[in-house]
Amino acid sequence: MADEHEELAPQKQSLFKLSADDILDNALENLDERQARDVKRKAADEVVRLAVEKRLAEHRSEAARDEMRALINNANLLDQRGGDYTINSTFETATGTTQVQIRKSRTTALALAALGLLLLVLFLIFK
Amino acid sequence: MEIAIVALALVLVAARLAWPRALGRRRGPGFGEADLVRAILKLGPRELDELFALYAREFGPGAARYARRTLRKWRSGEVRPNRQTFERILLRLPRVMSFDLKCEVLRRLREEYCGGDSYRLDVDTEGWREALEPLVEELIRKSYAAELPAPVARRLRWLADEDMRAARAILAESQARESREALSMLRGEFGSIEELLAAAGGRGRVTHTVRLPAGTITLRVRGGRN
Repeated sequence: MADEHEELAPQKQSLFKLSADDILDNALENLDERQARDVKRKAADEVVRLAVEKRLAEHRSEAARDEMRALINNANLLDQRGGDYTINSTFETATGTTQVQIRKSRTTALALAALGLLLLVLFLIFK
Repeated sequence: MEIAIVALALVLVAARLAWPRALGRRRGPGFGEADLVRAILKLGPRELDELFALYAREFGPGAARYARRTLRKWRSGEVRPNRQTFERILLRLPRVMSFDLKCEVLRRLREEYCGGDSYRLDVDTEGWREALEPLVEELIRKSYAAELPAPVARRLRWLADEDMRAARAILAESQARESREALSMLRGEFGSIEELLAAAGGRGRVTHTVRLPAGTITLRVRGGRN
């Protein structure tokens, strides 16, 4: 039974798609010495590039965290002064961009409350 | 009355026929020779310096000066690169380019033609990972499987050379690692966003855009768990 299975399976061919490593290995076999050296050097450079990118991304992340804290402090200061305000801010972070809006609108809250009250009165009248 | 109805019907048919073409023009970059040159001219300054140094060596300093002067107009679309420019930059120069520069050209082409998808997700600061991880995994798979569109591959036959197959494998692996790294960094970023939303106490709205090599994910973030 085991022999039958062995016969059915393809001999030197994976059932899965080639991985990046397989492609690289195959390519290296077919390249001349100079080309193989260039490919290996580029692969090593790419590892270094990723490490540098990671470090830069970490710095961006730390800076964004500090800026977000400062934004909250500013919003709290505006809160203490009273009145409506909207703060829009954009931060460059490790993985992309964060957009923040902090908004306080007493006028809108009052308008919504008045509308709710009006609807309630209308409901009671026409019930 | 009948004439007005027929005229209206004709206008509607014409609009219907023009609609997909108009959409097609707006969707993604073109595959024409000028589009390919424009894509390559978005290389970084170091790579462009190397490219123009080769250009000067192969086609003379006068031609290189003209190319340098016209770079901005080519990029903006004010001047359309002609067939000769395409042949020089994308067919003849690759024969003398370093492997490193060819890799950067390929990286640029992959950015232009293989990374345009965008996604939108609503997430909260507690359950974001469960929502986002499958999508990032999908984008990682896309990085490995990404192929340049057939019209581009047909025009740039040198991309099928054995060394460029290796270049594709290196770039695909690098893009996949970059995406995995981004996913792990998001943990810290969501910590900051959670802190911000908690401190804002209902006043804050946050949208975070994650840029990955194979696509962009825009997250509308809410505090706590939905």
